[in-house]
Amino acid sequence: MREKWTGELTVEQCCSRAAATRAYARYPLKLVLPSKVACSGIDAVWVYLVTYGGGIVSGDSISCKVSVGDHCTLVLTTQSSTKIYKAVQGKFSEQVFKALVAKDALLVMMPDPVTCFAAAKYKQIQHFFLSLDANLVLVDWFTSGRRERCEVWAFESFRSTNNVYLDGNPVFLDTMNLEQDVSLPISSRLQDFHSVAMLVIYGPRLSSIRKRIEERVGSQCEEAVRKKKHRSSTHGRLLCSFSSFGPSDAGLVVRVAAVETELIYDFLKQELAELSDLIGAPPYYGK
Amino acid sequence: MKLSRPSVTQCTGLAFRMDLPAKKSQGSDWVVWQLVDSFFPTGGFAHSYGLEAAVQAGLVSDSKSLDTFIKSTLENSGSLLLPFVSASFKLPDVAGWIELDRLLNATLSNHVARRASSSQGSALLRTAATVYPDLAELGELRGVVRAGRASGHHAGVFGIVCGLLKLDALTCQRAYLYLTLRDVLSAATRLNLVGPLQAAAMQQSLRGFGEAVVRKCADRGVEDACQVSPLLDTAQACHDHLFSRLFCS
Repeated sequence: MREKWTGELTVEQCCSRAAATRAYARYPLKLVLPSKVACSGIDAVWVYLVTYGGGIVSGDSISCKVSVGDHCTLVLTTQSSTKIYKAVQGKFSEQVFKALVAKDALLVMMPDPVTCFAAAKYKQIQHFFLSLDANLVLVDWFTSGRRERCEVWAFESFRSTNNVYLDGNPVFLDTMNLEQDVSLPISSRLQDFHSVAMLVIYGPRLSSIRKRIEERVGSQCEEAVRKKKHRSSTHGRLLCSFSSFGPSDAGLVVRVAAVETELIYDFLKQELAELSDLIGAPPYYGK
Repeated sequence: MKLSRPSVTQCTGLAFRMDLPAKKSQGSDWVVWQLVDSFFPTGGFAHSYGLEAAVQAGLVSDSKSLDTFIKSTLENSGSLLLPFVSASFKLPDVAGWIELDRLLNATLSNHVARRASSSQGSALLRTAATVYPDLAELGELRGVVRAGRASGHHAGVFGIVCGLLKLDALTCQRAYLYLTLRDVLSAATRLNLVGPLQAAAMQQSLRGFGEAVVRKCADRGVEDACQVSPLLDTAQACHDHLFSRLFCS
């Protein structure tokens, strides 16, 4: 395993409240810990992961190790979308993330999307090690690129790995790999869609949120496959579905694709709205 | 006038693996033909690889989008499942196969694909155990699946069956991609997206793409298994919400 992390964060119970007992970061990563995000009465630590320049350049690797102690709640988010600049000499931009989530703890990872510029090469590896009754909300998403500059699905390579282990056993091993290929360009695979997201929900504290997400996503999914409207217009188009995973189908993964990034922001705000009771503020508020 | 015999390369149009054995035994040819024959009862034709859902979601509506769908499905099969075919082909023991099956279960996060995979895998295991009763390991694997100690996912079963039958590794992987193409085109025909003649022509025209996928993905490790089509993955998970369904997945 790696020897030196770009960032290290530990959240533990201190005087009956969750607190960051270690928050180390070196260039190009910065950890911002605002104290007044969660409303009073909700015990949650919020941390913004910020990269200098708002993105990751070719050849840079940013690694972060996070530990969420027993009964603690940690929210990890970003200030804006993560930009991935074009690859120079074929070098990848890389992010590596490892999280340990302890007993009855909750980790909510809800970043803005990754936006790869034309000719960018990006890979991210995110591993989540959950104790048996730990809880996880994970959002991982990306856009087609800088549309305003007519860069649409114009990156060279995008690879995102999200692995979830429960008590050491793999329960969710997902890697999405999009590579440009002359015979099957990325744009042909994504059609008119410009934003793709994945939402993973796991843990006993999230069971009622999960149930309502299933109901709403199920109806939206049904509407999308039964209505003929989509055949003539792509306006406002969003496709979503969900699957269970893991022992006793305890985990939920929701997949979404939309023609506009704003539609997925709205989707996430709606589906995760009830999370504000656990984290002290509405997810993606103001975004 | 004397006609010169065409070379292997000219016959097949392929220019790779020039180190293929000069002559395979007739026995193994028959085994491979039987494995990829639609007559071999493994229930492949109950599944559409997400094509039915993709059509109803408006992602496949003409021959161009169908061509993209099939290529994406082949690429996905190669990237996500071929590593498991390859790994289980090399496996010597049941314990290793159970572990691989567990990893594949965690990798198949799409519940529709996961369900199709274990259903087809179990059917293949049952048929192979009947056709090759001398391969005691197959009976053992069936017992493990029945006891709930493994899901019996298709890629893992296909690989170990080929390994036990002593086929060569590359043939096994090519056959797996061949089956994918066979089943998707069969589904496309039954969904009335193409006629049978056109489907046969597509099967030929996509051969080069399929072989290129095998070349790219052959012998990759399972830790490198990945999916390549988020849109089709999203649509496939909608399968249970379709109003009317011809296929199980």
